[in-house]
Amino acid sequence: MKALRFVVAVVVLCILSLFLIPQARAGMDAFDVNKMADMSDFDPNHPVIPTGDTIKIALVASFSGPAATVAQMYWACATFVAHDINKRGGILVDGKRKKIQLMKADHMSKPAQTKKVCERMVLHEKVNFLIGTNGSNNMKVINQVAKKYKVIAQDFTALSDELYNATNFTKYSFMTVPSCEVVGKALAYYYGKIRRKEKKFYILCQDYLFGHSMAKGFKRGLELYFPEAEIVGEDYHKLFLKDFAPYLEKIKASGAEVIYTGDWIPDAENFLVQARQMGITLPVANLFLNEPNMLHRVGIAGTNRLVNFSMCGAAEGSAFPTADQVKYYHKWHDQWKKWKAPYNTYLYEHGWSASGSMGSYIQQIYWLMSVIKRAGSTDPDKIIDVWEGDSYRDVFNTVYYMRPSDHKVVADYYVQIYGPPEEQKACFNIPPYYWFKGCSNPIKIYRIPALRCAPPMDTKMARCKGRDIWGNLIK
Amino acid sequence: MESDTVLYISQAMHGLAYGMVLFLVSAGLTLIFGMMGILNIAHASFFMLGAYFCYQVLSMTGNFWVSLIVAPVIVGLLGVLCERYLLRKLHAYGHVGELLLTVGIGMVILGSVKIFWGTESLPVTVPQILKGLVKLGGLEYPIYRLFIIALALVILAIMGLILYKTRLGMIVRGAVSDAEMVNALGINVPAVFMFVFGFGTWLAGVGGVAVAPILTVYPGLSDQVGMDAFVVVVTAGFGSLKGAFIVSIIFGLLSSFGVQFVPKLAPVLMFGFMAIVLALKPAGIFGETE
Repeated sequence: MKALRFVVAVVVLCILSLFLIPQARAGMDAFDVNKMADMSDFDPNHPVIPTGDTIKIALVASFSGPAATVAQMYWACATFVAHDINKRGGILVDGKRKKIQLMKADHMSKPAQTKKVCERMVLHEKVNFLIGTNGSNNMKVINQVAKKYKVIAQDFTALSDELYNATNFTKYSFMTVPSCEVVGKALAYYYGKIRRKEKKFYILCQDYLFGHSMAKGFKRGLELYFPEAEIVGEDYHKLFLKDFAPYLEKIKASGAEVIYTGDWIPDAENFLVQARQMGITLPVANLFLNEPNMLHRVGIAGTNRLVNFSMCGAAEGSAFPTADQVKYYHKWHDQWKKWKAPYNTYLYEHGWSASGSMGSYIQQIYWLMSVIKRAGSTDPDKIIDVWEGDSYRDVFNTVYYMRPSDHKVVADYYVQIYGPPEEQKACFNIPPYYWFKGCSNPIKIYRIPALRCAPPMDTKMARCKGRDIWGNLIK
Repeated sequence: MESDTVLYISQAMHGLAYGMVLFLVSAGLTLIFGMMGILNIAHASFFMLGAYFCYQVLSMTGNFWVSLIVAPVIVGLLGVLCERYLLRKLHAYGHVGELLLTVGIGMVILGSVKIFWGTESLPVTVPQILKGLVKLGGLEYPIYRLFIIALALVILAIMGLILYKTRLGMIVRGAVSDAEMVNALGINVPAVFMFVFGFGTWLAGVGGVAVAPILTVYPGLSDQVGMDAFVVVVTAGFGSLKGAFIVSIIFGLLSSFGVQFVPKLAPVLMFGFMAIVLALKPAGIFGETE
């Protein structure tokens, strides 16, 4: 009898472990550079796109129109990840190994086109995932399509907090990019708790949802971490503004010590170029003033003292503290030398670049791959089960946590201080010991703990009520 | 000077500089419309092309002044070719076809720019001699912006001389008011049309080169400036060069002082101004009702 009980117990334990081990594993996964494929044949100009029975992912972005450069950048990141995964043999889903088939879905920066192209992708191309995109207005449409057709969407670039509030939330979409409030709080934390020198800030952002969210986040951050700070001016300019001089004149007259802006290119570039031409050398706290081609245009002096929020980066100190990180750097950089236009510019030189944006996009897409692998399926409900509350460690050892209550990522982020090439060695600790010779780039990186820059949670949503920043129920 | 005075003078100067850029673009647009009755939708694309050619010539020669001369000439020649081999053939079929053709030309220019130069922004730096600030009393003003103002005034003076002091100018003015009569006098009106179209696109090219060092040179460059120039021409009255000049300055000043005093309304002030003008005078301030 005892022997029978023992056998039954062993069998039950074995059966339970079949369920429990994958569940336990699903709790945490990490990027491992040593598992990466040989990337020496990777070229974003000539990606190998498999067809047939594949995992179909639509990259929804502005492949045409004024913001085509942005989609071009996303494409390089997404094809890099897909190339690696495919060379490893793909991902085991529903009992079968499938490769990643990336598809371009051009939204032309127009919400109406976004709807059209997303529906075509879902209904005709039968894609399993929609990922994107530049423009919160376009991301909102992607999320609506995801909800309607029960397809998983990943927001890896649109930063507006409102995309995941009570009005817009859908369980089918996951925000893996830090939100506007995260950016604002992190920069405010840097000025209030780390630097503690400048106190007078001027906010200049673009006059639409994103710009206002960026300003709101910074003001919230100042309230929390720097109450003695003073906002000496606040302006919102129209998108694609040509002449920044009137705003810059106001900034000059305001006595500001720091300019805070959420502007992206081309506004960011016009703003910085014109500010420096007008003799305004104030430090600029920013998110997108990190595009290397633009930085080269402004030059070393003009880009010195930029304070950039980084979506992705190493821990404080050098950018490549471990051998794995150096190895990962070469996986991209060594191929870049062989690429032709448009991928042969400064923008693509460092892969994740000093800016962190591209590095973040790549790691976010790897996170999606990891979730698919652990779900073992492309079924939306199984993906949701794994991703909600999931943690993922990226190549820089930053742990991303997917808050289950509102699907926003919670993680440590970084603030980078820019300086001239001769000072970049402290950060860029491998030959040639500077990021770029012709412009300032990070010389110092500060880590901002997740607790200090967590995204807001809309407690009007039933699933967010009574929960802490990790989405756990407050006892 | 008191700080407020300095601020207002600076804003006025910025308004003037932006107004001059608008004038450089809208002058060609209004000239082409006044002469040929064509609303050249591709005009802003020629402006953008000027900036791209400026980058190209600059990267080949390293000399901004060479690009200031060469780039607009190339744009002007392209304009001449467009008129001679595309627009002229459609002229007999009315303005709708011409209008649609200019839309097409604009799209072809945009596509070509992407093919030849890509979609990323290109760097054009301020020439060394025009870098820095000039001090006037308590005012510090960028030398390059002063250069833009001076350049536009010089071009205005040259245009004035050509239009009002030469036989060619007389023919052009005559053709603007009555092309058929000028034709009846034995003047080769198609050749005049070609010249005017080329000159108009040359002006757009000059505007493109002038702004290249202060703006991002990228495929979207034409969008906003094109819209502003169109509003200038409508408000001033189609075909009025004087009107384009005055309205450009008004819009420049509205933009600067709007940002200073009513920043939330600044982007719509020029449209508000246009609406008021058109409500009172539908042909524009200097436009003539047919």
